[in-house]
Amino acid sequence: MRHIPLDERPIRYDRWIDRLPRWLQRFLPKGGGTAKDHHGKGMFGVTVFLLSESVVFLSLIFAYSALKATTADWLPAGVKGPEVSTFVVINTVVLLSSSAVIQLAERAIKKERLTRFRLLWSLTVLMGSYFLVGQAIEWSQAEFGLRTSIGSSAFYVLTGFHGLHVLVGVLLQLTMLGRSLIPHNYDDGHFGINATTLFWHFVDALWVVLFTIIYVW
Amino acid sequence: MTDSTHPLPNDIPQVQMQGWGHYLRFSTDHKVIGVQYLFTTFLFFLMAGLLAMIIRAELLTPASNVVDRPFYNGLFTLHGTMMIFLWVIPSLVGLANYLVPLMIGADDMAFPRLNAIAFWILPPAGLLLVSSFFLPHGSAQAGWWSYPPISLQLPSGQPINGEVFWIVSLFLIGVSSIMGGVNFITTIVWMRAPGMTFFRLPIFVWTVLSAQLLQLFCLPALTGALILLFFDLALGTHFFDPLENGDPIIYQHLFWFYSHPAVYVMALPAFGIFSEIIPAFSRSPLFGYRSVALASFGIAVVSVTVWVHHMFASATPGWMRLLFMASSMLVAVFTGIKVFAWTATVWKSKLHLETPMLFALAGVVMFVFAGITGVMLAAVPFDLHVNNTYFVVGHFHYVVYNTITMAIFAAIYYWFPKITGHLYSEGWGKLHFWLTLVGANLAFFPMHPLGLQGMVRRISSYPPEYQSWNVVASLGGFLLGVSVLPFIANIIVSWMSGLPAPRNPWHATGLEWATTSPPPEKNFDETPVVRRPPYDYGDPKVTVTEGQNS
Amino acid sequence: MITVLEYILLAALIAVDLMVSRWIGIQAYGWMPVEATQEAQRVDDLFSFLVAVGAFIFLGIVGVIAYSVVFFRAAPTDYTEGHPGRGNWKVEVLWTAVPTLLVLWIAFQSANIYGQLNILGLTPIVERLNPLESPAYAREPSPNPAAGPKPAPPPQPEAQPTVVVAKQWEWSFRYPNGVTSRELHLPVNATTPLLLKSQDVIHGFYVPAFRAKQDMFPDRDITFAVTPTQVGQYRLQDSQFSGEYFALMLAPVVVEEEAAYGQWLEKIAQNPPDLPRLVAEEQAHPPRRLFDSGWRRGDAIAAAADEDAIALRDQASPP
Repeated sequence: MRHIPLDERPIRYDRWIDRLPRWLQRFLPKGGGTAKDHHGKGMFGVTVFLLSESVVFLSLIFAYSALKATTADWLPAGVKGPEVSTFVVINTVVLLSSSAVIQLAERAIKKERLTRFRLLWSLTVLMGSYFLVGQAIEWSQAEFGLRTSIGSSAFYVLTGFHGLHVLVGVLLQLTMLGRSLIPHNYDDGHFGINATTLFWHFVDALWVVLFTIIYVW
Repeated sequence: MTDSTHPLPNDIPQVQMQGWGHYLRFSTDHKVIGVQYLFTTFLFFLMAGLLAMIIRAELLTPASNVVDRPFYNGLFTLHGTMMIFLWVIPSLVGLANYLVPLMIGADDMAFPRLNAIAFWILPPAGLLLVSSFFLPHGSAQAGWWSYPPISLQLPSGQPINGEVFWIVSLFLIGVSSIMGGVNFITTIVWMRAPGMTFFRLPIFVWTVLSAQLLQLFCLPALTGALILLFFDLALGTHFFDPLENGDPIIYQHLFWFYSHPAVYVMALPAFGIFSEIIPAFSRSPLFGYRSVALASFGIAVVSVTVWVHHMFASATPGWMRLLFMASSMLVAVFTGIKVFAWTATVWKSKLHLETPMLFALAGVVMFVFAGITGVMLAAVPFDLHVNNTYFVVGHFHYVVYNTITMAIFAAIYYWFPKITGHLYSEGWGKLHFWLTLVGANLAFFPMHPLGLQGMVRRISSYPPEYQSWNVVASLGGFLLGVSVLPFIANIIVSWMSGLPAPRNPWHATGLEWATTSPPPEKNFDETPVVRRPPYDYGDPKVTVTEGQNS
Repeated sequence: MITVLEYILLAALIAVDLMVSRWIGIQAYGWMPVEATQEAQRVDDLFSFLVAVGAFIFLGIVGVIAYSVVFFRAAPTDYTEGHPGRGNWKVEVLWTAVPTLLVLWIAFQSANIYGQLNILGLTPIVERLNPLESPAYAREPSPNPAAGPKPAPPPQPEAQPTVVVAKQWEWSFRYPNGVTSRELHLPVNATTPLLLKSQDVIHGFYVPAFRAKQDMFPDRDITFAVTPTQVGQYRLQDSQFSGEYFALMLAPVVVEEEAAYGQWLEKIAQNPPDLPRLVAEEQAHPPRRLFDSGWRRGDAIAAAADEDAIALRDQASPP
């Protein structure tokens, strides 16, 4: 017969979490029995999902880079590839600064300044839509089609997949804008807004990477 | 609050006769979804098994005289795809769905509705895949790897073809898996009961955590590959077409970057099942609990760095071959830790050889065999001989059938009383075990000598000198087909009219045994508090009452 | 407590396990096909070593489990504790460290044997990806006499390669003197460089008796080398799935004396032999089958490939 002591040690898990920066703490549970923290759970889930989604981009970027490094005829001779132009730069600046705008909107809702939130949030929607329209113009003006060569196909797949994410982001933002008109919508917190904001930052950060490898490289 | 790590004496609850109806409806209860997963995937298992038996019938004789060659190619393509993506992975997801919230003391998964949606994607995706058999030019026929350019060549210009169905189906299953992965990770990190620290989690939960992390961070590579393959197939791009400057090797890298870890997505929960069942039937704590738990993570981490060993005979330079040989062999160290731990748990214990334990022990023994052939395959010079031969097929089936499917059967028997509230018939279970054990070894062992002799996989006719071992393998395959019959009979009859099960028929530790069989809708009447290490086997009189010996 | 007697017993059991696994390792040579190259001997040495190590581990673990199953059984209603051992860090470190050393040893042995394989291969792709990369495989056989039982063959003058062309679903071989055949003849005890070409999809060059395998990619020529050491007839088999008639993508490999090889080359230059075409035969006389799906479409692919093949074969001359 064996002596089994009860293990009564406190859960030490909290202590190192307290040392983390605030924004990171938002994504990590404190102690056991946090099942009722729906906001924290939700944000954690969204973060995990975005990390996973970034691997899809990573695999496409890997395919893009490997093909570009080894393919002889990346684009046919005489065809102008994607280049850094004023148009593209303005488009990029608009998309990236929309990250700051959406952050301000999130802060506004936290302070319960609903009108200010709606204004800033609508501005983000406009900026996102501007980027999408700009992308469409760039596609229509390109000298190459989807099937012209490996390089052109890769360009359309990569920018198209990112554009799809921007579109989803804009649709999410419109949904959140519509829901902000429902009375008492924010009685249970702002999970939808926080999640959309995080998603939007993710989409913008990806654009920095894609811009570098598509236009600069 | 009571200490619920140790179940109270075996009170037999009132078994409410619930109808079958709620298993057919959209439900957000993780227990219902778990059973839905198990039931659906078992149907796909039967279908894919049927395909395997037609394959084995064709291979009874050297000539191609049972089915025509394109159909044979469709058979092995869909057999592999269905067994992996519609049986092994999702059936383990079903078990995890049922068990993880119970084991960590939660009332449900973190996102119940997402959980239900993830499940309901699966049946249409699977049916889509199966329906491709009825297309005019047939199903996908390029093998479950679907390597370009052969996968791009097969569909014969039709916009709707088996390969498109294959890609769309796999994409949908991938979406479902990602939803499941997000849900499992969040559940395990956030929903643990008070006191359920990471090092008090049952090993099954650890293995689900590491397997689902692999799903989340490797499966997207397959998604990326499928997107590009779809563009090549349907929209006329040439990413993977070597004759148009494309590079098929990129597909191989992306494919194996997921599909090797996919083996551990399947194997890790199976190891978790062994780690639950072996201590319970040995009446001993799991030897070296912490190292077993951490080894799960070790396997997950190392398995991300080994994928090129599938491509040794492909266009892989020498340094890459040797590098990936070394990393592949390291997997054996971490799986070794687990095998040694199980062996030490069994040693000098008090073994109860009920059906779950028989399946688990046989699974461990056959896993040792599979692990040894796995290390052999990692050795580059030997792999260059047996790569793409039946030796690989044999090794793989020793992993996915003789280890993982054995573990799934063990788990179904072990938790059957908990899931259904009834006891199963031990005699029928043992009959199922012996038929499976004999059938599986007859079917899959002969593949090793065949591969050593140079019989290439995926051929529908073969030189006559390979026939004798093939006949043995085919007979084993048919025996495996027969072996599921007692299982099905046992499950149906026991569920309908088996003896009512107590809370804890196996006298096991673990929170799932502390609640009624079957558990109530929210799992626990009050949130359990955990105060003890896991696998706390010992004299029931000492451990059941709280505080007596502290 | 472990007594002296138990130590002796343990040592005896390990000795028995060692002897049995060594014996199994020797048996392993017999499970392999004929050794027709030096590479085959090296691979078989490695396989025998792996089997011996594997058998030692398998018998050890399974022996412990089997002993437990037989002798450590509980009475049906006895749910008391089996043993109280929750772990022992010394044992756990031991069974982590020893396997690590073991697999590193296995990896070292394998790398060593890999270095002795004289099969060239892959240089074009490697150079394409990374011009600094030294050619994979292109190592001379190890000069270390202890490494291999037999000395390397004398270096051959740089010969013209024999071009191996794979297409759906037929092999063809183009010899340095310009003749083409559907059977691969090789001189014995000489290193024949091969240029592997594929015309449509990925194929695999695999001769079980040579223990050599290399995938072949369209639009990428791969250099490969074989040094047969035993006269005889072997089989070349496509090892990478290539579609409908994949199983019929076989070709005879004939290893013969240098003189006979030269005579054969001259003979087929004058009247090419009419070898059976497996795929065409099956298409002309489809065998009776229990079930016919009607999915067949290989005929169209083969016809299209034949047209390209003529154009490609002209390009397929050695560099």
